[in-house]
Amino acid sequence: MTGTPIDTQGTRMLVIATLLCSYPGIDATGQAHMEYPPNTYVIPTPDPVMFPESFYMHCFEKGVDGILIASCGTDSPYEGSYDQLAARIPKVYALMKARGISIRRLKLTAICSVCTKAFLKEVSDMEAVMAELGPVSGEMTAVPA
Amino acid sequence: MAERRSKPKGADKATPATPATRATPQQPVRGEKVGVYVCHCGGNISDVVDVDRVATEASQLEGVAVARHIMFMCSDEGQKAIVDDIEALGLDRVVVAACTPKLHEATFRRALQRGGMNPYLFLPANIREQASWAHPHSPKAATEKAIALVRAAVAKAEMLEPLDKVRVAAVHRSLVIGGGVAGLRAALDLARQGVGVTLIEKSPFLGGRSVQLHTVFPTEDPARPLVHRLIDEVKAERNVSILTNTEVVALTGYVGDFTITLRTTPRGVSRDLRKSAEAIAACPVKVANEFNDGIDERKAIYQPYPGSEPDLPAIDWATCTRCGDCLTAAGAGIDLNAEPVETRIEAGAIVVATGFDHYQPRPGEYGYAASPRVVTLPQVHRMLDPEGPTGGRLEIDGRVPRSVAFIHCVGSRQIEGVDEPGPAGKLHEYCSRVCCTATLQAANELRKKYPDTAVYDLYRDIRTYGRDQEPYYVDSSKKGVVFMRFANEDRPKVEVVEGANYPLKVTVTDTLTFGAEIEVPVDLVILSVGVQPRDISEFIDMTHAPVGADGFLLEVHPKLRPVESAIPGLLLAGTVQAPMDITESTSAASAAAAKVTALLASDHVEMEPFVAKVDPSRCDGCGLCLDACHYAGAIALQDVEIEEGVVEKRAYVNPVACKGCGACVPSCPVSALDVASWEIDQYKAMIDAITAQPLIAGAR
Ligand SMILES: Cc1cc2nc3c(=O)[nH]c(=O)nc-3n(C[C@H](O)[C@H](O)[C@H](O)COP(=O)(O)OP(=O)(O)OC[C@H]3O[C@@H](n4cnc5c(N)ncnc54)[C@H](O)[C@@H]3O)c2cc1C
Ligand code: SF4
Repeated sequence: MTGTPIDTQGTRMLVIATLLCSYPGIDATGQAHMEYPPNTYVIPTPDPVMFPESFYMHCFEKGVDGILIASCGTDSPYEGSYDQLAARIPKVYALMKARGISIRRLKLTAICSVCTKAFLKEVSDMEAVMAELGPVSGEMTAVPA
Repeated sequence: MAERRSKPKGADKATPATPATRATPQQPVRGEKVGVYVCHCGGNISDVVDVDRVATEASQLEGVAVARHIMFMCSDEGQKAIVDDIEALGLDRVVVAACTPKLHEATFRRALQRGGMNPYLFLPANIREQASWAHPHSPKAATEKAIALVRAAVAKAEMLEPLDKVRVAAVHRSLVIGGGVAGLRAALDLARQGVGVTLIEKSPFLGGRSVQLHTVFPTEDPARPLVHRLIDEVKAERNVSILTNTEVVALTGYVGDFTITLRTTPRGVSRDLRKSAEAIAACPVKVANEFNDGIDERKAIYQPYPGSEPDLPAIDWATCTRCGDCLTAAGAGIDLNAEPVETRIEAGAIVVATGFDHYQPRPGEYGYAASPRVVTLPQVHRMLDPEGPTGGRLEIDGRVPRSVAFIHCVGSRQIEGVDEPGPAGKLHEYCSRVCCTATLQAANELRKKYPDTAVYDLYRDIRTYGRDQEPYYVDSSKKGVVFMRFANEDRPKVEVVEGANYPLKVTVTDTLTFGAEIEVPVDLVILSVGVQPRDISEFIDMTHAPVGADGFLLEVHPKLRPVESAIPGLLLAGTVQAPMDITESTSAASAAAAKVTALLASDHVEMEPFVAKVDPSRCDGCGLCLDACHYAGAIALQDVEIEEGVVEKRAYVNPVACKGCGACVPSCPVSALDVASWEIDQYKAMIDAITAQPLIAGAR
């Protein structure tokens, strides 16, 4: 991992990775033995556009402290999906705010199939956010009545 | 591909994954006997991850019937373990924790099939690329992560449903786009394998860039006869229809059944033209001749070389003024009023062979455009061609140069901070692969043809990588080519020197002579320009074919699926994919043709079943999903008999038009939609499993 090592103790990051772009990019990072903290869990998806707002909230409620959406960006092989995904993020942010969760814990990024350095940077940035904010459970308020 | 159509295309041809006429939800049967297999991958995994612990932890999970760790899961032994356990223990789901699923997902699915299971009841856990290789110095944490990933995979696997491939009726014809060596080779192979071909070429002439070469390395065959042999073979096939001046303007459909609209620009010239030379001579328009890389000019009515295919001139409508002088001179065979024609064709698969462009140096780059004595390698190829604009003579201002310097890697292997990005803001970081050998071939020819001409070769690295290419390097040393090597960040400088004996001065810090700064006086500088992706953005927009970071079309996997695009039914051939020489281009073309033949071998094409599905017991027919979906006819409302005599609207997914992106899923207010095998509840189960795994102290 490049940069200053971050103490990842007590936090978990979820990386939502697209099958055609970021998933192979993350594989390529591993293939090149470019290290990043092991508290990152990658879940593959054809396209993150499929996740409803409630899914992100489910993740935070269960103890995911940071979510990186590693999309294909505007290179998405699926027509219009990136715009739809980007439009959903403010809605997720609104739900996060309502629960007292810092919106910095969710980031929409674009990672291509060879973007190893970009992936490491995004992970490093989110690690820094999680290290600064600590576990999400500490800031989450009760479900509004 | 995103155009909306009223009738869902293929709805009548496909075997739908979603039965739409019954309102009874299919209750998934939960997996209760999961087999978990943890791979050592030699030591690639087990040197970091404690595979024994991962298997032990997995064996304690609810629903897991067996958990083993095995040296190589992809080996016969590994696959046999799965098959044996299915038979002996009655497994109903299988999880393999190993390398990236991109490598062996298909292998393990087949193992399940051999054991009599539905192949889609398999789930991979990636603990090599995303655990052992990514965290080699954190074995404890990598092991914990691997356990969490296996837990997540088991949780999801238990919820997987058996699926069947979607079958689509296939059109037994193909479209090949591009009439260079790659397109020609693909068309020929397809036709010989019994698949009909429409071969389209955007320009008025076949042959692509190879016919611009004079002789080709490493065989030293004259280029045009070689390419024309291929053209003649293609023309002899009755199953190929060739359209020049033709482009794709619209494309809909999917693998097995693409509908393509082609636009053919009129040639403006017919076989009735008897006086080609007179017509060309009469044309008053003069423009740079692209065939000769701008060394000379051509007319608006032109033919690149005698005997081109077709052996007829064509009119360049962008520069023709329609003055009619050519027609007056020729008398007949020219039509200046012809209109473009659009035709629709159907094809089961498409081979993309649209080739490459030469890198165009920036003005000032190594003196380019500042002096006419700085030229490119393709221009020198044209000059060395006996049928070229100088009759095979390398000349500048009518004289053979006394001294020339080649400079390698111009527009290739560019470095951030050293090179300026091109117009698209991108650097060409890749090696163009063909230019080293092409440069040495030209250098040798110059030494042979003009023994009195001094030839200097300024290079970063010599990459004569292919079979029979290294002898060019050996030969050039023997022939007296003088090599100088410059460092990546320290490029040679080319200056125009007014009034000096030699008009150009090249200054190079030569690492072969321990960093001596050498000044080379020359008459001519030849830039070995690289290969760059051709602009086919309109086609990319139509198909969404993935493009690599280098700008070339991207294959699914460079080693395992090297000629397939991620868009099913779209195959890649030749330099549209990467810099390649002719041998590699035609090999790729043959591979693409073989893929198409295999794909269209039966009257059906099978597609992965990962498409949207509707739970008709939840769907209330609101139709919001129709707005969320961008694909024509992928989702529609249709009448469903929900109970005896009661008919209501319900969403219906056409599995061949659905791309499986899931854009419809979050649009449904009652959560009636999901993508098969990528269901939201399955993801939630994975998250629950990952977060249930306690975090270990000092995760690094
Ligand atoms: C300087 C130089 C020297 C070389 N020398 C050698 C050599 O000696 N030996 C060797 O083996 N290789 C050599 N090569 C490599 C060789 O030129 C290529 O391998 C070969 O031309 C690739 O063929 P292709 O069919 O992929 O592409 P191309 O030759 O570029 O053909 C592509 C065709 O597609 C057409 N097209 C483009 N867009 C469309 C569209 N949208 N619709 C329809 N048609 C379209 C183009 O008009 C063109 O006719 C050299 C390359 C360079 C740059
Ligand atoms: S083939 Fe040679 S000249 Fe061309 S980019 Fe590669 S190293 Fe440079």
